Amino acid sequence: MYYFPQLSSGATGQFPITRQRSARTVINQSIEGYQVKLADPAAAITEWHLSFVEMNDQELAALEALFQAVEGRLTPFTFLDPVDNLLAWSEQQDQAVWQADPLLTLTAGVADPMGGTAAYQVGNPTAATLMLQQSITAPASLDYCLSLYARSDQSTEVWLIRGSATDAQAISPQWTRLNSAGQLSDTDESISFGIALDPGSTVDVFGIQAEAQTTASLYKQTAETGGVYTNARFRDDTLTITTVGPSRYSCELDIVNVEYL
Amino acid sequence: MFPTLKTGAVTQYPAKRTLQFNTDALRFLDGTEQRFRDNSSVLHQWTIQLDLLDESELAAFDQFFVSNQGRFGSFSFTDPWDGTVYPNCSLGGDSFGFQLRAEMRGQTVLTVCENRT
Repeated sequence: MYYFPQLSSGATGQFPITRQRSARTVINQSIEGYQVKLADPAAAITEWHLSFVEMNDQELAALEALFQAVEGRLTPFTFLDPVDNLLAWSEQQDQAVWQADPLLTLTAGVADPMGGTAAYQVGNPTAATLMLQQSITAPASLDYCLSLYARSDQSTEVWLIRGSATDAQAISPQWTRLNSAGQLSDTDESISFGIALDPGSTVDVFGIQAEAQTTASLYKQTAETGGVYTNARFRDDTLTITTVGPSRYSCELDIVNVEYL
Repeated sequence: MFPTLKTGAVTQYPAKRTLQFNTDALRFLDGTEQRFRDNSSVLHQWTIQLDLLDESELAAFDQFFVSNQGRFGSFSFTDPWDGTVYPNCSLGGDSFGFQLRAEMRGQTVLTVCENRT
């Protein structure tokens, strides 16, 4: 699996980052101004413009290695959106992308820390530890940060799952944003994120977010797609690198994800 | 539902609202004109220019664009000038982009168009 490398800081991009989404709508307009519209969801395109400065030798080598391996815009690679939540359906844990262990209870419509009712109450009525997790198609060896809001009136801890790593985090009746970050030595081509509940515990959760970086950024809501793009390509066949000094490089590049290619 | 900012506002200054009539004019050889309406009423369009957004606000607009599939979907929009609710509006374009200059330094522009009903 080809994938876009992270910088040594663990970040995938540097500011400023520009992202553009394009859709295709066919419109038939009558002379009176009425419109008949037809959507073409398969034609959706997502583009990023990334600017890198002060890259070192290793960072440049990783970028060049990818560019050469995929031969410019020829071959797709996996790109983890640096400005998005990698998990899909971040506020609907009853969707199929979330794998809940049997007997784990999920109750929607719970008050969330943003003033809405998008939180879920997750309960484990059994005598075994149960998990709620989502798997994404991305290298497990990268830096990731899992973050979520949690609270509980009864339980005092919840387990955060980040691939093969599980971190116990203390919770209270107040909403607290928890996070688990780091890099794993796994070589798997997918990684799971989620929570595990001790037997008998009940926890309210909201805003589960995974990012390919070392710390959590502000929570970003997602729906059917998260920030994992497995069909991304370089937009151009050229990669221009400017050397501004020893082990100091900069470059700008465009990445495009087109599902129908 | 069109997303609002964390302040509760829909738009920021400078905000632009456009009123659109569609009039046909026939000019005769003697210089006189006959004009008539092609559309039955005025249509409104709002250009919403936003700056200093945080990542959550940008994500809300992004999800709104995705769920509407660009210009395809329709929604009700409350005119921030006078509070009038326009029940049949669409996004004005099939593309949505933003730039994140730094943390909580996002900017974007959207256009909302009233549809003929």
